[in-house]
Amino acid sequence: MAAAASTSSAAAPGSPSGGGRRGPSAAVACSCPICLEGFEDEAYLDTCLHSFCYECITQWVSIVASKHEDPLSSVKCPLCKTESVSILHAFDGKSFQRHYIEQDPGKRHLVDAHQLISQFYNTREISDDAASVLQYWKQRKYLRKNIWLETWLRREIQALTQDENVEAIVYHIDGMIESFMKAQEKLHASKQTSPEHTREEFRSLLSDAARPFLLGRTARFVTEVELFLISQRNIDAYSRVRLQRFKESASHVAREQDTLPQDRPLEDHYLYLLNEETDCVGGVI
Amino acid sequence: MQASRARLFKEYKEVQREKSADPDIQLICDDSNIFKWTAVIKGPSETPFEGGVFQLAFSIPEQYPLLPPQVRFITKIFHPNVHFKTGEICLDILKNAWSPAWTLQSVCRAIIALMAHPEADSPLNCDSGNLLRSGDIRGYQSMARMYTRLAAMPKKE
Repeated sequence: MAAAASTSSAAAPGSPSGGGRRGPSAAVACSCPICLEGFEDEAYLDTCLHSFCYECITQWVSIVASKHEDPLSSVKCPLCKTESVSILHAFDGKSFQRHYIEQDPGKRHLVDAHQLISQFYNTREISDDAASVLQYWKQRKYLRKNIWLETWLRREIQALTQDENVEAIVYHIDGMIESFMKAQEKLHASKQTSPEHTREEFRSLLSDAARPFLLGRTARFVTEVELFLISQRNIDAYSRVRLQRFKESASHVAREQDTLPQDRPLEDHYLYLLNEETDCVGGVI
Repeated sequence: MQASRARLFKEYKEVQREKSADPDIQLICDDSNIFKWTAVIKGPSETPFEGGVFQLAFSIPEQYPLLPPQVRFITKIFHPNVHFKTGEICLDILKNAWSPAWTLQSVCRAIIALMAHPEADSPLNCDSGNLLRSGDIRGYQSMARMYTRLAAMPKKE
């Protein structure tokens, strides 16, 4: 069989070859290469970021899958043939959905605990005990390093980005926190700023570090990191506390008859976790 | 079905709009059936097909563009990757290397590229392939040119 791609003058699909063609490149750029219409729920392949309508690309994935005996774990981009393992879509400025090519979640590495974390971020922020927050900064409790921080950050960020490989982000954020704490430690007593000021500085540095990766989830993430540090617990113990907080918020929401769509599933998920809590939390670490 | 119709209609409009864009390719949609198209392509220069005009018949499946169109030469052509009797074309992008980002226009361009770059190791036309594989370029070219004259050029009075 002759291979079109190997011949020098063969046109790449969708891109006009040999010059001479005018105009269409602009139209190509803002329309889906599969249906040639404007994008409907614009979806991106995770490696090359070429975009398609969500429906068009998922239809193509199912056609490709039907030609393979084994379940697919990745798909080639129709435009550039780069392999991608997932399709990103429904981006609303704050969050997005991720559709994995691999349909068996057991073969992916993000597990239930991650799903719970991301559900947790979907609920409203809960004002925690303000006194302990203040105490933490006042008594400079941050000088005692939380050895669990890096592992905890990794799991949170994995859940928020829906991505398994987040080492670079974890390294970046963990490094930022550590160097901030070290700098505080070295500060001469006379130069110390007020605890409120230190806290503000910490929060703004942390949100600057996290924003490029977590976008609209950044503010909430900053609050969660602070709460974790303040708790001075290990991951297991903290997860239990947070679950408790989560439950209170869920029942609070129910009382107010708020129309949170995830009301029921959240509660169910929580009940199930109370029974098998250690399994779920311990399994990930 | 609906999706393929919409997409073919888009391609039809694009072809009308860009009629002069590629003088080597002329795509014509069947008046009564949007799933049947004919293309007229010019043989690429500096090949034995130069000066010839070749007709292609497109038959488009309902799942297009998820499935590739079926294309064959109507005009006789002596080329290792084209079946001499049926006009069937052996080209990866029309089979397993198909991508829904290809259009009828870009398929035509790929076929023109195939005419200029025959792939002798996967022949549908063994005679033609064997000439190339045995290194008889002159023999291949004169056979191909003869058939171009016979079948792909307007008859002179």
